[in-house]
Amino acid sequence: MPRVISIHSYRGGTGKSNLTANLATTVANQGYRVGVVDTDLPSPGIHNIFGLEPDRMAKTLNSYLWNEAEIEDGAYDVSQNLDLAQGGQLFLVPASSSADDIARILKDGYDVRRLNDGFRQLVKTLELDYLFIDTHPGLSKETFLTIAISHCLLLIVRPDKQDYQGAAVTLDVARQLNVKHVQIVLNKVLACLDPEALKQKVEEIYRVPVAGLFPLSEDIIKLASEGVFCVRHPEHSMTQEFQAVARRVMK
Amino acid sequence: MTPSSNLKAFADSITATTSPFRSYLSDLHRQYLPLTDGAVADYIPELALADPSWFGIAAATVDGQVFEVGDCDQTFTVQSISKAFVYGLALEDHGRDYVNSKVGVEPTGEAFNAIVLDEATNRPYNPMVNAGAIATADLIKGKDGTERLKRMLDMFSRYTGRSHDIHVPVFLSEKATGNRNRAIAYLMLNFGMVSDRIDETLDLYFQQCSILVTARDLSLMAATLANGGINPVTGDRALDQRYVQDVVSVMLTCGMYDSSGDWAYRVGMPAKSGVGGGITAVAPGKLGIGTFSPPLDAKGNSVRGIQVCQTLSQDFGLHPFNAAAPPRDLAAWINGSEGTNSW
Repeated sequence: MPRVISIHSYRGGTGKSNLTANLATTVANQGYRVGVVDTDLPSPGIHNIFGLEPDRMAKTLNSYLWNEAEIEDGAYDVSQNLDLAQGGQLFLVPASSSADDIARILKDGYDVRRLNDGFRQLVKTLELDYLFIDTHPGLSKETFLTIAISHCLLLIVRPDKQDYQGAAVTLDVARQLNVKHVQIVLNKVLACLDPEALKQKVEEIYRVPVAGLFPLSEDIIKLASEGVFCVRHPEHSMTQEFQAVARRVMK
Repeated sequence: MTPSSNLKAFADSITATTSPFRSYLSDLHRQYLPLTDGAVADYIPELALADPSWFGIAAATVDGQVFEVGDCDQTFTVQSISKAFVYGLALEDHGRDYVNSKVGVEPTGEAFNAIVLDEATNRPYNPMVNAGAIATADLIKGKDGTERLKRMLDMFSRYTGRSHDIHVPVFLSEKATGNRNRAIAYLMLNFGMVSDRIDETLDLYFQQCSILVTARDLSLMAATLANGGINPVTGDRALDQRYVQDVVSVMLTCGMYDSSGDWAYRVGMPAKSGVGGGITAVAPGKLGIGTFSPPLDAKGNSVRGIQVCQTLSQDFGLHPFNAAAPPRDLAAWINGSEGTNSW
Protein backbone atom coordinates (compact mmCIF):
# COMPACT_ATOMS: atom_id res chain seq x y z
CA MET A 1 0.00 0.00 0.00
CA PRO A 2 1.42 3.41 -0.93
CA ARG A 3 2.21 5.76 1.90
CA VAL A 4 1.48 9.49 1.82
CA ILE A 5 3.63 11.90 3.83
CA SER A 6 2.91 15.64 4.04
CA ILE A 7 5.40 18.19 5.22
CA HIS A 8 3.82 21.28 6.62
CA SER A 9 4.57 24.36 8.65
CA TYR A 10 2.39 27.18 9.82
CA ARG A 11 4.85 29.87 8.83
CA GLY A 12 7.18 30.32 5.89
CA GLY A 13 10.93 29.84 5.83
CA THR A 14 10.94 26.87 8.16
CA GLY A 15 12.69 24.56 5.69
CA LYS A 16 9.75 22.55 4.37
CA SER A 17 11.09 22.12 0.85
CA ASN A 18 14.55 21.17 2.05
CA LEU A 19 13.21 18.59 4.48
CA THR A 20 10.82 17.23 1.82
CA ALA A 21 13.61 16.90 -0.75
CA ASN A 22 16.01 15.24 1.65
CA LEU A 23 13.46 12.80 3.06
CA ALA A 24 12.16 11.85 -0.38
CA THR A 25 15.70 11.32 -1.66
CA THR A 26 16.64 9.28 1.40
CA VAL A 27 13.62 7.01 0.90
CA ALA A 28 14.17 6.68 -2.87
CA ASN A 29 17.81 5.80 -2.19
CA GLN A 30 16.57 2.67 -0.42
CA GLY A 31 15.21 1.38 -3.72
CA TYR A 32 11.66 2.77 -3.59
CA ARG A 33 9.59 4.59 -6.19
CA VAL A 34 8.92 8.01 -4.70
CA GLY A 35 6.79 10.91 -5.86
CA VAL A 36 7.05 14.51 -4.70
CA VAL A 37 4.30 17.03 -5.41
CA ASP A 38 4.81 20.75 -4.90
CA THR A 39 1.39 22.01 -3.76
CA ASP A 40 2.89 25.34 -2.81
CA LEU A 41 1.08 26.96 -5.74
CA PRO A 42 1.53 30.59 -4.61
CA SER A 43 5.26 30.21 -3.98
CA PRO A 44 6.68 27.07 -5.59
CA GLY A 45 10.34 26.27 -5.28
CA ILE A 46 11.27 22.66 -4.59
CA HIS A 47 12.14 22.10 -8.29
CA ASN A 48 15.27 24.23 -7.66
CA ILE A 49 16.52 21.81 -5.03
CA PHE A 50 16.04 18.87 -7.39
CA GLY A 51 17.81 20.73 -10.20
CA LEU A 52 14.78 20.92 -12.48
CA GLU A 53 14.93 24.08 -14.58
CA PRO A 54 11.63 25.94 -15.24
CA ASP A 55 12.24 25.79 -19.02
CA ARG A 56 12.09 21.98 -18.80
CA MET A 57 8.75 22.10 -16.97
CA ALA A 58 6.39 22.12 -19.96
CA LYS A 59 3.61 20.68 -17.81
CA THR A 60 3.16 21.33 -14.13
CA LEU A 61 0.66 20.67 -11.35
CA ASN A 62 -1.07 23.82 -12.58
CA SER A 63 -1.66 22.28 -16.04
CA TYR A 64 -3.36 19.32 -14.38
CA LEU A 65 -5.51 21.49 -12.10
CA TRP A 66 -6.62 23.48 -15.15
CA ASN A 67 -7.66 20.34 -17.01
CA GLU A 68 -4.91 20.86 -19.58
CA ALA A 69 -2.95 17.67 -18.84
CA GLU A 70 -2.94 14.46 -16.88
CA ILE A 71 -1.02 14.76 -13.63
CA GLU A 72 1.59 12.20 -14.75
CA ASP A 73 2.38 14.45 -17.74
CA GLY A 74 3.74 16.93 -15.20
CA ALA A 75 5.87 14.34 -13.38
CA TYR A 76 9.63 14.57 -14.06
CA ASP A 77 12.06 11.80 -13.27
CA VAL A 78 14.86 13.62 -11.44
CA SER A 79 16.64 10.44 -10.30
CA GLN A 80 19.75 11.13 -12.37
CA ASN A 81 20.41 14.32 -10.36
CA LEU A 82 20.41 12.31 -7.14
CA ASP A 83 22.80 9.35 -7.70
CA LEU A 84 20.09 7.00 -6.43
CA ALA A 85 20.84 3.41 -5.46
CA GLN A 86 19.66 0.57 -7.67
CA GLY A 87 15.88 0.46 -8.16
CA GLY A 88 15.17 3.82 -6.61
CA GLN A 89 13.34 6.43 -8.64
CA LEU A 90 12.15 9.91 -7.78
CA PHE A 91 9.47 11.80 -9.71
CA LEU A 92 8.75 15.46 -9.10
CA VAL A 93 5.49 17.19 -9.99
CA PRO A 94 6.46 20.86 -9.81
CA ALA A 95 4.13 23.83 -9.57
CA SER A 96 4.52 26.55 -12.14
CA SER A 97 6.79 29.42 -11.13
CA SER A 98 5.53 31.75 -13.85
CA ALA A 99 4.02 34.93 -12.40
CA ASP A 100 1.10 34.67 -14.79
CA ASP A 101 0.29 31.12 -13.73
CA ILE A 102 0.50 32.04 -10.05
CA ALA A 103 -1.81 34.98 -10.70
CA ARG A 104 -4.24 32.65 -12.46
CA ILE A 105 -4.33 30.32 -9.47
CA LEU A 106 -4.95 33.25 -7.14
CA LYS A 107 -7.57 34.76 -9.43
CA ASP A 108 -9.53 31.67 -10.42
CA GLY A 109 -8.68 29.18 -7.69
CA TYR A 110 -8.94 25.48 -8.51
CA ASP A 111 -11.00 22.45 -7.58
CA VAL A 112 -9.56 20.81 -4.49
CA ARG A 113 -11.34 17.58 -5.43
CA ARG A 114 -9.32 17.44 -8.61
CA LEU A 115 -6.14 17.79 -6.56
CA ASN A 116 -7.20 14.81 -4.45
CA ASP A 117 -7.99 12.75 -7.55
CA GLY A 118 -4.63 13.76 -9.01
CA PHE A 119 -2.67 12.44 -6.03
CA ARG A 120 -4.49 9.16 -6.35
CA GLN A 121 -3.95 8.96 -10.09
CA LEU A 122 -0.25 9.78 -9.72
CA VAL A 123 0.28 7.05 -7.14
CA LYS A 124 -1.50 4.55 -9.40
CA THR A 125 0.05 5.37 -12.76
CA LEU A 126 3.63 5.73 -11.51
CA GLU A 127 3.21 2.81 -9.07
CA LEU A 128 4.61 4.84 -6.24
CA ASP A 129 5.61 3.38 -2.90
CA TYR A 130 5.76 6.81 -1.25
CA LEU A 131 4.23 10.17 -2.02
CA PHE A 132 5.70 13.27 -0.38
CA ILE A 133 3.73 16.49 -0.48
CA ASP A 134 5.38 19.86 -0.03
CA THR A 135 2.84 22.47 1.09
CA HIS A 136 2.26 26.19 1.23
CA PRO A 137 2.80 27.65 4.69
CA GLY A 138 -0.26 28.29 6.82
CA LEU A 139 -3.70 26.83 6.36
CA SER A 140 -5.50 26.70 3.04
CA LYS A 141 -7.71 24.22 1.26
CA GLU A 142 -4.70 22.37 -0.14
CA THR A 143 -3.14 22.04 3.31
CA PHE A 144 -6.43 20.76 4.72
CA LEU A 145 -6.59 18.25 1.90
CA THR A 146 -2.99 17.09 2.18
CA ILE A 147 -3.29 16.79 5.95
CA ALA A 148 -6.46 14.70 5.50
CA ILE A 149 -4.91 12.21 3.08
CA SER A 150 -1.61 11.82 4.93
CA HIS A 151 -0.59 8.62 6.65
CA CYS A 152 1.97 10.76 8.35
CA LEU A 153 2.01 14.52 8.82
CA LEU A 154 5.35 16.14 9.58
CA LEU A 155 5.02 19.52 11.19
CA ILE A 156 8.14 21.69 11.08
CA VAL A 157 8.58 24.00 14.03
CA ARG A 158 11.34 26.44 14.85
CA PRO A 159 11.78 27.09 18.53
CA ASP A 160 10.00 30.45 18.72
CA LYS A 161 6.67 31.66 20.01
CA GLN A 162 4.97 32.26 16.66
CA ASP A 163 5.84 28.78 15.41
CA TYR A 164 4.67 27.21 18.66
CA GLN A 165 1.33 28.94 18.38
CA GLY A 166 0.99 27.97 14.71
CA ALA A 167 1.75 24.34 15.53
CA ALA A 168 -1.10 24.30 18.04
CA VAL A 169 -3.52 25.61 15.40
CA THR A 170 -2.36 23.06 12.83
CA LEU A 171 -2.71 20.23 15.35
CA ASP A 172 -6.31 21.32 16.01
CA VAL A 173 -6.97 20.98 12.30
CA ALA A 174 -5.19 17.63 12.05
CA ARG A 175 -7.32 16.26 14.90
CA GLN A 176 -10.49 17.47 13.21
CA LEU A 177 -9.33 15.67 10.05
CA ASN A 178 -8.69 12.45 12.00
CA VAL A 179 -5.01 12.27 11.11
CA LYS A 180 -3.51 9.54 13.25
CA HIS A 181 0.20 10.05 12.83
CA VAL A 182 1.53 13.53 13.37
CA GLN A 183 5.18 14.14 14.19
CA ILE A 184 7.07 17.35 14.82
CA VAL A 185 10.42 18.19 13.29
CA LEU A 186 12.36 20.90 15.09
CA ASN A 187 14.44 22.93 12.70
CA LYS A 188 16.89 25.84 12.88
CA VAL A 189 17.57 25.13 16.53
CA LEU A 190 20.20 27.51 17.92
CA ALA A 191 23.38 25.96 19.27
CA CYS A 192 22.78 27.52 22.71
CA LEU A 193 19.65 25.37 23.29
CA ASP A 194 19.86 21.91 24.87
CA PRO A 195 18.36 19.64 22.16
CA GLU A 196 17.18 16.86 24.49
CA ALA A 197 15.47 19.25 26.89
CA LEU A 198 13.81 21.08 23.99
CA LYS A 199 12.57 17.81 22.49
CA GLN A 200 11.08 16.74 25.80
CA LYS A 201 9.38 20.05 26.36
CA VAL A 202 7.81 20.08 22.89
CA GLU A 203 6.58 16.49 23.26
CA GLU A 204 5.05 17.34 26.61
CA ILE A 205 3.25 20.44 25.37
CA TYR A 206 1.85 19.00 22.14
CA ARG A 207 1.64 15.29 23.03
CA VAL A 208 3.14 14.60 19.62
CA PRO A 209 6.47 12.79 19.09
CA VAL A 210 9.45 14.75 17.83
CA ALA A 211 10.77 12.91 14.78
CA GLY A 212 13.98 14.86 14.44
CA LEU A 213 15.90 17.94 15.41
CA PHE A 214 18.09 19.99 13.10
CA PRO A 215 20.45 22.76 14.14
CA LEU A 216 20.55 26.11 12.42
CA SER A 217 23.00 25.06 9.73
CA GLU A 218 25.39 27.21 7.78
CA ASP A 219 26.14 24.21 5.59
CA ILE A 220 22.57 23.93 4.38
CA ILE A 221 22.27 27.69 3.92
CA LYS A 222 25.44 27.63 1.77
CA LEU A 223 23.85 25.02 -0.46
CA ALA A 224 20.82 27.29 -0.52
CA SER A 225 18.31 25.75 -2.85
CA GLU A 226 20.72 24.12 -5.24
CA GLY A 227 21.07 20.43 -4.76
CA VAL A 228 19.83 17.99 -2.18
CA PHE A 229 21.94 18.19 0.97
CA CYS A 230 22.06 14.47 1.74
CA VAL A 231 23.41 13.78 -1.77
CA ARG A 232 26.14 16.39 -1.49
CA HIS A 233 27.11 15.53 2.10
CA PRO A 234 26.41 11.83 2.63
CA GLU A 235 28.53 11.62 5.77
CA HIS A 236 27.26 14.80 7.46
CA SER A 237 25.48 14.51 10.82
CA MET A 238 22.44 16.23 9.32
CA THR A 239 22.22 13.54 6.66
CA GLN A 240 22.14 10.98 9.46
CA GLU A 241 19.30 12.91 11.08
CA PHE A 242 17.39 12.93 7.75
CA GLN A 243 17.83 9.16 7.67
CA ALA A 244 16.49 8.87 11.21
CA VAL A 245 13.40 10.93 10.34
CA ALA A 246 12.90 8.91 7.14
CA ARG A 247 12.93 5.67 9.15
CA ARG A 248 10.20 7.08 11.41
CA VAL A 249 7.90 8.23 8.61
CA MET A 250 8.33 4.95 6.72
CA LYS A 251 7.01 2.90 9.60
CA MET B 1 -22.86 28.27 15.63
CA THR B 2 -20.49 26.65 18.09
CA PRO B 3 -16.97 28.10 18.30
CA SER B 4 -15.49 25.44 16.03
CA SER B 5 -18.42 24.90 13.66
CA ASN B 6 -16.60 26.49 10.71
CA LEU B 7 -13.60 24.27 11.27
CA LYS B 8 -15.83 21.22 11.51
CA ALA B 9 -17.85 22.10 8.40
CA PHE B 10 -14.76 22.70 6.30
CA ALA B 11 -12.98 19.64 7.68
CA ASP B 12 -16.09 17.56 6.88
CA SER B 13 -16.08 18.79 3.29
CA ILE B 14 -12.42 17.80 3.02
CA THR B 15 -12.92 14.34 4.52
CA ALA B 16 -15.85 13.85 2.11
CA THR B 17 -13.38 14.67 -0.68
CA THR B 18 -10.83 12.15 0.56
CA SER B 19 -13.22 9.35 1.60
CA PRO B 20 -13.03 5.92 -0.06
CA PHE B 21 -16.63 6.33 -1.22
CA ARG B 22 -15.70 9.40 -3.22
CA SER B 23 -12.73 7.52 -4.68
CA TYR B 24 -15.21 4.86 -5.71
CA LEU B 25 -17.43 7.49 -7.37
CA SER B 26 -14.37 8.94 -9.04
CA ASP B 27 -13.61 5.51 -10.54
CA LEU B 28 -17.21 5.25 -11.78
CA HIS B 29 -16.83 8.65 -13.40
CA ARG B 30 -13.63 7.56 -15.10
CA GLN B 31 -15.22 4.29 -16.20
CA TYR B 32 -18.32 5.82 -17.79
CA LEU B 33 -16.92 9.10 -19.14
CA PRO B 34 -15.84 7.41 -22.42
CA LEU B 35 -19.43 6.23 -23.10
CA THR B 36 -20.56 8.06 -26.20
CA ASP B 37 -23.98 6.43 -26.69
CA GLY B 38 -27.11 8.53 -26.73
CA ALA B 39 -27.89 11.99 -27.99
CA VAL B 40 -28.43 15.36 -26.38
CA ALA B 41 -32.08 16.48 -26.46
CA ASP B 42 -32.63 18.93 -29.30
CA TYR B 43 -36.39 19.52 -29.52
CA ILE B 44 -35.62 23.09 -28.52
CA PRO B 45 -32.33 24.75 -29.56
CA GLU B 46 -31.31 25.75 -26.02
CA LEU B 47 -31.06 22.12 -24.88
CA ALA B 48 -28.95 21.20 -27.92
CA LEU B 49 -26.26 23.58 -26.65
CA ALA B 50 -25.38 21.17 -23.83
CA ASP B 51 -21.85 19.72 -23.99
CA PRO B 52 -22.17 15.91 -24.32
CA SER B 53 -19.01 15.47 -22.26
CA TRP B 54 -20.51 17.11 -19.15
CA PHE B 55 -20.69 14.46 -16.46
CA GLY B 56 -21.26 14.88 -12.75
CA ILE B 57 -21.97 12.37 -10.00
CA ALA B 58 -23.07 13.51 -6.55
CA ALA B 59 -24.24 11.50 -3.56
CA ALA B 60 -25.57 12.87 -0.27
CA THR B 61 -26.07 10.74 2.81
CA VAL B 62 -28.97 11.08 5.23
CA ASP B 63 -26.51 12.44 7.77
CA GLY B 64 -25.52 15.24 5.45
CA GLN B 65 -22.21 14.21 3.90
CA VAL B 66 -22.01 15.19 0.24
CA PHE B 67 -19.67 13.49 -2.24
CA GLU B 68 -19.11 15.07 -5.63
CA VAL B 69 -17.18 14.00 -8.70
CA GLY B 70 -16.95 15.76 -12.06
CA ASP B 71 -19.28 18.51 -13.23
CA CYS B 72 -21.38 18.86 -10.10
CA ASP B 73 -21.60 22.67 -10.22
CA GLN B 74 -22.71 22.86 -13.86
CA THR B 75 -26.33 24.07 -13.98
CA PHE B 76 -28.93 22.58 -16.31
CA THR B 77 -32.70 22.63 -16.49
CA VAL B 78 -34.45 20.25 -14.16
CA GLN B 79 -37.15 19.36 -16.73
CA SER B 80 -39.30 16.34 -15.77
CA ILE B 81 -37.47 15.79 -12.49
CA SER B 82 -39.51 18.73 -11.19
CA LYS B 83 -42.69 16.68 -11.60
CA ALA B 84 -42.01 14.43 -8.60
CA PHE B 85 -41.30 17.34 -6.27
CA VAL B 86 -44.20 19.53 -7.44
CA TYR B 87 -46.43 16.49 -6.83
CA GLY B 88 -45.27 16.62 -3.20
CA LEU B 89 -46.19 20.29 -2.98
CA ALA B 90 -49.65 19.56 -4.44
CA LEU B 91 -50.15 16.86 -1.80
CA GLU B 92 -49.25 19.38 0.91
CA ASP B 93 -51.63 21.94 -0.60
CA HIS B 94 -54.66 19.66 -0.91
CA GLY B 95 -54.13 16.33 0.84
CA ARG B 96 -53.95 12.87 -0.67
CA ASP B 97 -57.63 12.26 -1.41
CA TYR B 98 -58.20 15.40 -3.42
CA VAL B 99 -54.96 15.05 -5.37
CA ASN B 100 -55.81 11.42 -6.13
CA SER B 101 -59.15 12.52 -7.49
CA LYS B 102 -57.32 14.70 -10.04
CA VAL B 103 -54.26 12.58 -10.92
CA GLY B 104 -53.86 8.80 -10.78
CA VAL B 105 -50.79 6.82 -9.75
CA GLU B 106 -50.84 4.15 -12.46
CA PRO B 107 -47.90 3.68 -14.85
CA THR B 108 -48.98 4.05 -18.49
CA GLY B 109 -46.44 2.36 -20.68
CA GLU B 110 -47.19 5.23 -23.04
CA ALA B 111 -44.71 7.95 -24.01
CA PHE B 112 -44.42 10.79 -21.51
CA ASN B 113 -46.17 13.22 -23.86
CA ALA B 114 -49.04 10.93 -24.87
CA ILE B 115 -52.44 12.58 -25.11
CA VAL B 116 -54.28 10.01 -23.05
CA LEU B 117 -56.50 10.06 -19.97
CA ASP B 118 -58.02 7.26 -17.89
CA GLU B 119 -61.34 6.61 -19.66
CA ALA B 120 -63.22 5.69 -16.51
CA THR B 121 -62.24 8.74 -14.44
CA ASN B 122 -60.86 11.20 -17.02
CA ARG B 123 -57.78 11.56 -14.81
CA PRO B 124 -54.30 11.60 -16.24
CA TYR B 125 -52.64 8.30 -15.37
CA ASN B 126 -49.89 9.60 -13.09
CA PRO B 127 -48.07 12.81 -12.12
CA MET B 128 -44.94 11.93 -14.12
CA VAL B 129 -46.47 12.03 -17.61
CA ASN B 130 -46.99 15.52 -19.02
CA ALA B 131 -50.77 15.37 -18.60
CA GLY B 132 -50.46 14.44 -14.94
CA ALA B 133 -47.74 17.00 -14.34
CA ILE B 134 -49.87 19.79 -15.84
CA ALA B 135 -52.85 18.70 -13.72
CA THR B 136 -50.51 18.68 -10.70
CA ALA B 137 -49.13 22.15 -11.50
CA ASP B 138 -52.75 23.33 -11.70
CA LEU B 139 -53.17 22.27 -8.05
CA ILE B 140 -50.37 24.52 -6.76
CA LYS B 141 -51.94 27.23 -4.64
CA GLY B 142 -51.29 30.95 -4.97
CA LYS B 143 -53.16 34.11 -5.85
CA ASP B 144 -51.42 34.47 -9.22
CA GLY B 145 -48.72 32.95 -11.40
CA THR B 146 -45.97 34.87 -9.65
CA GLU B 147 -46.91 33.64 -6.21
CA ARG B 148 -47.37 30.08 -7.41
CA LEU B 149 -43.95 30.11 -9.06
CA LYS B 150 -42.38 31.60 -5.95
CA ARG B 151 -43.90 28.81 -3.86
CA MET B 152 -42.33 26.25 -6.21
CA LEU B 153 -38.93 27.93 -6.15
CA ASP B 154 -39.07 28.17 -2.35
CA MET B 155 -39.85 24.47 -2.21
CA PHE B 156 -36.80 23.62 -4.35
CA SER B 157 -34.69 25.83 -2.08
CA ARG B 158 -35.77 23.83 0.93
CA TYR B 159 -34.69 20.62 -0.83
CA THR B 160 -31.33 21.97 -1.98
CA GLY B 161 -30.40 24.64 0.55
CA ARG B 162 -29.81 27.32 -2.08
CA SER B 163 -31.94 29.68 -4.15
CA HIS B 164 -33.01 28.77 -7.68
CA ASP B 165 -33.64 30.64 -10.91
CA ILE B 166 -35.44 29.94 -14.16
CA HIS B 167 -33.51 29.59 -17.41
CA VAL B 168 -35.55 32.17 -19.32
CA PRO B 169 -34.61 31.15 -22.91
CA VAL B 170 -35.56 27.53 -22.17
CA PHE B 171 -38.84 28.64 -20.61
CA LEU B 172 -39.70 30.85 -23.62
CA SER B 173 -38.76 28.09 -26.07
CA GLU B 174 -40.80 25.48 -24.21
CA LYS B 175 -43.70 27.90 -24.15
CA ALA B 176 -43.37 28.77 -27.84
CA THR B 177 -43.25 25.13 -28.93
CA GLY B 178 -45.58 23.69 -26.28
CA ASN B 179 -48.69 23.17 -28.40
CA ARG B 180 -48.93 19.51 -27.55
CA ASN B 181 -48.94 20.33 -23.84
CA ARG B 182 -51.49 23.07 -24.53
CA ALA B 183 -53.69 20.49 -26.25
CA ILE B 184 -53.37 18.15 -23.28
CA ALA B 185 -54.35 20.97 -20.91
CA TYR B 186 -57.43 21.87 -22.96
CA LEU B 187 -58.47 18.23 -23.16
CA MET B 188 -58.33 18.07 -19.36
CA LEU B 189 -60.22 21.37 -19.10
CA ASN B 190 -62.88 19.85 -21.32
CA PHE B 191 -63.34 17.06 -18.76
CA GLY B 192 -63.27 19.49 -15.84
CA MET B 193 -60.04 18.01 -14.49
CA VAL B 194 -58.16 21.31 -14.34
CA SER B 195 -59.18 24.86 -13.49
CA ASP B 196 -59.70 27.41 -16.24
CA ARG B 197 -56.51 29.37 -15.52
CA ILE B 198 -54.93 27.37 -18.33
CA ASP B 199 -52.39 29.89 -19.58
CA GLU B 200 -51.15 30.64 -16.09
CA THR B 201 -50.84 26.95 -15.24
CA LEU B 202 -49.06 26.13 -18.52
CA ASP B 203 -46.61 28.98 -17.89
CA LEU B 204 -46.06 27.59 -14.44
CA TYR B 205 -45.48 24.11 -15.86
CA PHE B 206 -42.98 25.40 -18.46
CA GLN B 207 -41.26 27.42 -15.74
CA GLN B 208 -40.97 24.50 -13.33
CA CYS B 209 -39.27 22.52 -16.10
CA SER B 210 -36.84 25.42 -16.69
CA ILE B 211 -35.55 25.67 -13.11
CA LEU B 212 -31.77 25.47 -13.01
CA VAL B 213 -30.20 22.78 -10.85
CA THR B 214 -26.90 20.93 -10.49
CA ALA B 215 -26.03 17.28 -9.87
CA ARG B 216 -25.30 18.29 -6.28
CA ASP B 217 -28.82 19.74 -5.99
CA LEU B 218 -30.31 16.50 -7.33
CA SER B 219 -28.39 14.45 -4.77
CA LEU B 220 -29.68 16.67 -1.96
CA MET B 221 -33.25 16.51 -3.27
CA ALA B 222 -33.07 12.71 -3.27
CA ALA B 223 -31.31 12.65 0.09
CA THR B 224 -34.09 14.81 1.54
CA LEU B 225 -36.64 12.22 0.43
CA ALA B 226 -34.37 9.42 1.70
CA ASN B 227 -34.29 11.29 5.02
CA GLY B 228 -38.08 11.48 5.45
CA GLY B 229 -38.50 14.95 3.98
CA ILE B 230 -35.83 16.81 5.95
CA ASN B 231 -32.82 18.24 4.12
CA PRO B 232 -29.93 16.44 5.84
CA VAL B 233 -27.53 19.36 5.44
CA THR B 234 -29.70 22.31 6.49
CA GLY B 235 -32.15 20.44 8.72
CA ASP B 236 -35.07 22.24 6.99
CA ARG B 237 -38.19 20.29 6.25
CA ALA B 238 -38.90 20.29 2.51
CA LEU B 239 -41.86 17.89 2.44
CA ASP B 240 -44.47 16.87 5.01
CA GLN B 241 -43.37 13.44 6.20
CA ARG B 242 -46.84 12.01 5.47
CA TYR B 243 -46.27 12.49 1.74
CA VAL B 244 -42.68 11.31 1.35
CA GLN B 245 -43.85 7.77 0.68
CA ASP B 246 -46.36 9.01 -1.93
CA VAL B 247 -43.71 10.89 -3.88
CA VAL B 248 -41.12 8.12 -3.70
CA SER B 249 -43.69 5.50 -4.74
CA VAL B 250 -44.65 7.26 -7.96
CA MET B 251 -40.95 7.76 -8.67
CA LEU B 252 -40.49 3.99 -8.42
CA THR B 253 -43.46 3.11 -10.64
CA CYS B 254 -43.39 5.99 -13.14
CA GLY B 255 -40.18 7.99 -12.69
CA MET B 256 -38.09 6.75 -15.59
CA TYR B 257 -40.57 7.38 -18.42
CA ASP B 258 -41.62 4.14 -20.08
CA SER B 259 -38.54 2.24 -18.98
CA SER B 260 -39.68 2.42 -15.35
CA GLY B 261 -40.30 -1.31 -15.18
CA ASP B 262 -36.86 -2.14 -16.48
CA TRP B 263 -35.36 0.39 -14.07
CA ALA B 264 -37.25 -1.10 -11.09
CA TYR B 265 -35.92 -4.51 -12.08
CA ARG B 266 -32.30 -3.54 -12.66
CA VAL B 267 -31.71 -0.58 -10.34
CA GLY B 268 -34.65 -0.43 -7.98
CA MET B 269 -33.90 2.94 -6.44
CA PRO B 270 -36.95 5.18 -6.94
CA ALA B 271 -35.75 7.80 -9.38
CA LYS B 272 -36.78 10.58 -11.72
CA SER B 273 -35.02 11.65 -14.87
CA GLY B 274 -35.23 14.75 -17.03
CA VAL B 275 -34.31 15.48 -20.65
CA GLY B 276 -31.78 18.04 -19.41
CA GLY B 277 -29.62 15.02 -18.53
CA GLY B 278 -30.32 14.77 -14.80
CA ILE B 279 -31.36 11.78 -12.70
CA THR B 280 -32.25 11.93 -9.03
CA ALA B 281 -32.37 8.55 -7.25
CA VAL B 282 -33.45 7.73 -3.69
CA ALA B 283 -32.03 5.00 -1.45
CA PRO B 284 -34.46 5.41 1.48
CA GLY B 285 -32.76 5.76 4.85
CA LYS B 286 -29.34 5.77 3.19
CA LEU B 287 -28.59 8.35 0.55
CA GLY B 288 -29.63 10.38 -2.43
CA ILE B 289 -27.86 10.28 -5.77
CA GLY B 290 -27.77 12.99 -8.40
CA THR B 291 -26.23 12.45 -11.83
CA PHE B 292 -25.86 14.81 -14.75
CA SER B 293 -24.85 13.85 -18.29
CA PRO B 294 -26.80 15.24 -21.26
CA PRO B 295 -26.74 12.36 -23.80
CA LEU B 296 -30.05 10.47 -23.55
CA ASP B 297 -31.11 7.02 -24.65
CA ALA B 298 -34.16 6.43 -26.87
CA LYS B 299 -36.48 6.55 -23.83
CA GLY B 300 -35.15 9.94 -22.74
CA ASN B 301 -32.97 8.86 -19.82
CA SER B 302 -29.32 9.89 -19.36
CA VAL B 303 -27.09 7.08 -20.64
CA ARG B 304 -24.23 7.61 -18.20
CA GLY B 305 -26.66 8.33 -15.36
CA ILE B 306 -28.34 4.94 -15.84
CA GLN B 307 -24.98 3.14 -15.72
CA VAL B 308 -23.90 4.99 -12.58
CA CYS B 309 -27.15 4.28 -10.73
CA GLN B 310 -27.17 0.64 -11.79
CA THR B 311 -23.57 0.03 -10.72
CA LEU B 312 -24.03 1.85 -7.42
CA SER B 313 -27.17 -0.14 -6.73
CA GLN B 314 -25.45 -3.46 -7.42
CA ASP B 315 -22.22 -2.69 -5.58
CA PHE B 316 -23.83 -1.33 -2.42
CA GLY B 317 -27.13 -3.28 -2.44
CA LEU B 318 -29.27 -0.15 -2.83
CA HIS B 319 -32.19 -1.94 -4.50
CA PRO B 320 -34.99 -1.73 -1.92
CA PHE B 321 -35.83 -5.40 -2.39
CA ASN B 322 -32.27 -6.58 -2.02
CA ALA B 323 -31.88 -8.82 1.02
CA ALA B 324 -28.49 -10.33 0.19
CA ALA B 325 -25.26 -8.95 1.58
CA PRO B 326 -23.98 -6.48 -1.00
CA PRO B 327 -20.44 -6.72 -2.40
CA ARG B 328 -19.55 -3.48 -0.58
CA ASP B 329 -20.68 -2.13 2.76
CA LEU B 330 -21.86 1.46 2.29
CA ALA B 331 -21.14 2.64 5.84
CA ALA B 332 -17.59 1.28 5.76
CA TRP B 333 -16.88 2.98 2.44
CA ILE B 334 -18.33 6.28 3.55
CA ASN B 335 -16.72 6.40 6.96
CA GLY B 336 -13.38 4.81 6.08
CA SER B 337 -11.09 7.18 7.94
CA GLU B 338 -7.96 6.69 5.88
CA GLY B 339 -9.16 7.28 2.37
CA THR B 340 -5.74 6.59 0.92
CA ASN B 341 -5.99 2.96 2.02
CA SER B 342 -8.31 2.39 -0.91
CA TRP B 343 -5.76 3.80 -3.38
